[in-house]
Amino acid sequence: MIGKGYCVQADLEKKLQAEILGREPGNSILTCIQCGTCSGSCPLADAMDAGPRALFALIRDGQVEQALRSNTSWYCVSCYQCMVQCPQQIPITDIMYLLKQLSLEQGLVPRDNKMPDLYAAFERQVNLFGKVSEALLMADYGIKHPLDVMANAAAAVKLLAKGRLHLVPRKIEAPRRLQAMIDAAGQKEHAR
Amino acid sequence: MIYGFFPGCAYQAAAGYKESVDSLCNLLGIELREIEDWNCCGATAAFSCDRHKALALTGRLFALAARQGFDEIVTVCNACYSTLKKAAKLLGSDPGLLENVNRSLKAESLELSAPVPVKHLLEVMFRDREKLSWPEGPCRLPKDIKVATYYGCQLTRPWQNVPRALRPDLMEQLFTVAGLETVDHSARTLCCGASHAVAYPGQCRVLVSRIVNEIKAKGGTLVATICPLCQFNLDQGQHGSYRAKLPVAYFTQVLGLALGLPPAELGLKKLLVPLKNIPAG
Ligand code: SF4
Ligand code: SF4
Repeated sequence: MIGKGYCVQADLEKKLQAEILGREPGNSILTCIQCGTCSGSCPLADAMDAGPRALFALIRDGQVEQALRSNTSWYCVSCYQCMVQCPQQIPITDIMYLLKQLSLEQGLVPRDNKMPDLYAAFERQVNLFGKVSEALLMADYGIKHPLDVMANAAAAVKLLAKGRLHLVPRKIEAPRRLQAMIDAAGQKEHAR
Repeated sequence: MIYGFFPGCAYQAAAGYKESVDSLCNLLGIELREIEDWNCCGATAAFSCDRHKALALTGRLFALAARQGFDEIVTVCNACYSTLKKAAKLLGSDPGLLENVNRSLKAESLELSAPVPVKHLLEVMFRDREKLSWPEGPCRLPKDIKVATYYGCQLTRPWQNVPRALRPDLMEQLFTVAGLETVDHSARTLCCGASHAVAYPGQCRVLVSRIVNEIKAKGGTLVATICPLCQFNLDQGQHGSYRAKLPVAYFTQVLGLALGLPPAELGLKKLLVPLKNIPAG
């Protein structure tokens, strides 16, 4: 494990590369023909440091640190457009999930990236209540990113007026049992 | 018709989705029986972080549905749909994953032998159309309203069984049953930005305008959606735009109007971009 912002040593980079390419779903990167269909069909390619195609080239070339530092996997919205179109049937979206997990683990998430906080807020809602209420999710996420939430304040007022903001959480019968279930299931995907 | 219903988390705050689903189902003779004590499906957030946790969440739902005697789960949200379908595929094809889920389900005293098939309400309405009680008469939607369908991304992606994945026409076909015609356009399955609209509204605005502009250019004046996230992003994503706004409703609201249900029963008041030439009630 290395600290945030430090350079990954060459041997660690090799190890990470082996970890990605050594098993599913990352191993299918080896069958990528670099056609670019994925990047061409990705709705958020413009916002990405590298589209999926370029990202896979980096990983194959051993530039794993750069790949894990890129914002690509975090901008992936799981629309699965690339996966439907890929001529090699590479599970691109699943690879994005793996890369998100690895970059979190290695402390390489780009500093300005907000998705981990959104996911964490989401997970807290599920753990606490078993169901997610948007208003509470936004309130939780807003603790770290008040500007994002404030930017939506006008919308929030409208939603409130239309009876669409629910401030009291809905719960499943026994959230604790659900949490025990989730904890029992939890194990890091690539450390099977 | 009785269906096992999984409303999903976003349903209750969605702009008139519940109202219109309720009145439409009532009219057509559909009973949606909510899966008791359902939990959040985990959406893409759970799959992004830990596949096993994600499968436990969906596994619980499958187990509840099976125990409550449902042989399929009907959803009204694309994100729930694709999450559950993905989970069903994984759990149905990998015994190791199923075993792991069953191990964690012990905490809930539940058991899962096989995942339950998942359908979108749109799919079952079309599949079972001949068993439903469609009211007689012509389409009641004013002629000057031109409906454009928008499916969003998840319905037609890898785990789907919707025909013509890249150019679906399921909604069109269902609308035809009610005598409703639609305008053709090429943005049917473009992505709306989903949950990224929270963290990256700027980038997602581009996605929304791509869709809205295409529909407007092809003459559409009302969008019909099938997912709370799509509806919200398209509706809210036009906020602050200086251009004429395009109203975005649920397919159940549009179908309800076409079949002559009173607008007041369809929750139209909750839309952010109002539907002109229809009194919201
Ligand atoms: S579409 Fe598939 S084969 Fe083509 S570049 Fe992307 S991942 Fe590689
Ligand atoms: S699934 Fe992710 S990488 Fe693939 S097209 Fe959609 S946003 Fe882009």
